[in-house]
Amino acid sequence: MELHYGWNELKDIDFMSILPIILPVIAIGMILVLIALIDLYRNRKTRKNVLLWTLIIIFANTIGPILYFVIGRKDSERI
Amino acid sequence: MNNFAVLAKKEFVQMVREFKVIWLPLVFIFLGITQPVVSYYLPSILEALGGGQGITIDPSMAAQKGGEVLASTLGSQFDQLGVMIIIVSMMGVVQSDKANGMLAFILTRPVTVGSYISGKIISNYLFVACSVALGYLVSYLYVVFLFTNVNFADLILALLFYLLWILFIVSFTTMISTIFNSQGIIALISIVFLLGCRIIVGLSPVIDNVNPASMSKHAMEVLVLGTVNSQAIWGALAALALTAVTILVTNIWISKKKFNNE
Repeated sequence: MELHYGWNELKDIDFMSILPIILPVIAIGMILVLIALIDLYRNRKTRKNVLLWTLIIIFANTIGPILYFVIGRKDSERI
Repeated sequence: MNNFAVLAKKEFVQMVREFKVIWLPLVFIFLGITQPVVSYYLPSILEALGGGQGITIDPSMAAQKGGEVLASTLGSQFDQLGVMIIIVSMMGVVQSDKANGMLAFILTRPVTVGSYISGKIISNYLFVACSVALGYLVSYLYVVFLFTNVNFADLILALLFYLLWILFIVSFTTMISTIFNSQGIIALISIVFLLGCRIIVGLSPVIDNVNPASMSKHAMEVLVLGTVNSQAIWGALAALALTAVTILVTNIWISKKKFNNE
């Protein structure tokens, strides 16, 4: 048994048949990330930990933007 | 009912300001899409990433019926991540009003506690129910596209059953949010209690009759089997009764403590 995940294995997957089904999933995730990032950028002066929130939004997939909307926005109201 | 309309409108304005009106439906659509797509591609994902050459995959695994996939959307996506997201998005519903003095201010006006609570619960419930229904319908479209067709009457009946459970989640979170002052404790207690309710479903028929989470199981049964369990009416009555109890507790709690100095 050999474990190798090279780039050449990607050619075996038929991307064109998967694309129309996968695309909406990716699109909705991207929309969430974009809305969160735009809101963070607009209010970058009043928010705490802007850099940390940016990293959370981008790397914690789908749960990051939700956390930002619920917790990240509330912190700023107290200032 | 004029007070009620004003308070409900205030809730909607607040939702638009917090972008909740955009992200909550999007999250539920995302959850609804994930389950059919993942279960459709599960055999090929296992084949590509399983690592073992010569692994055999049972072809009957791919031949799921549409109803089963839709039921697993409700059971494994909405009932876990979905419930947590509803709770997290609603944990500040009364607590933030208490924290910034809005509740004390509103109660100095000629507004009854009943219209305040009903404005909160009904507006939030309508919004959450719309986003759950939207995610569910998108999931249905995917299921019809990738798997077999689902009977439309079963679909609507299962959604109605599920919305009763959502109603209990919303009113319970509102009650906890009224009683406690810290957002972390509110989220912790609600998540532990409601997911605990969901876990003990199916242990014993007696508990199921008074457990609002059994509505979720009945909804899944309608989707999988196509028949309504005769116990479902008791579950529905129990869910409605418990919702009424939580609203009553909230009402008493707010009117007993006047929240003047909070």
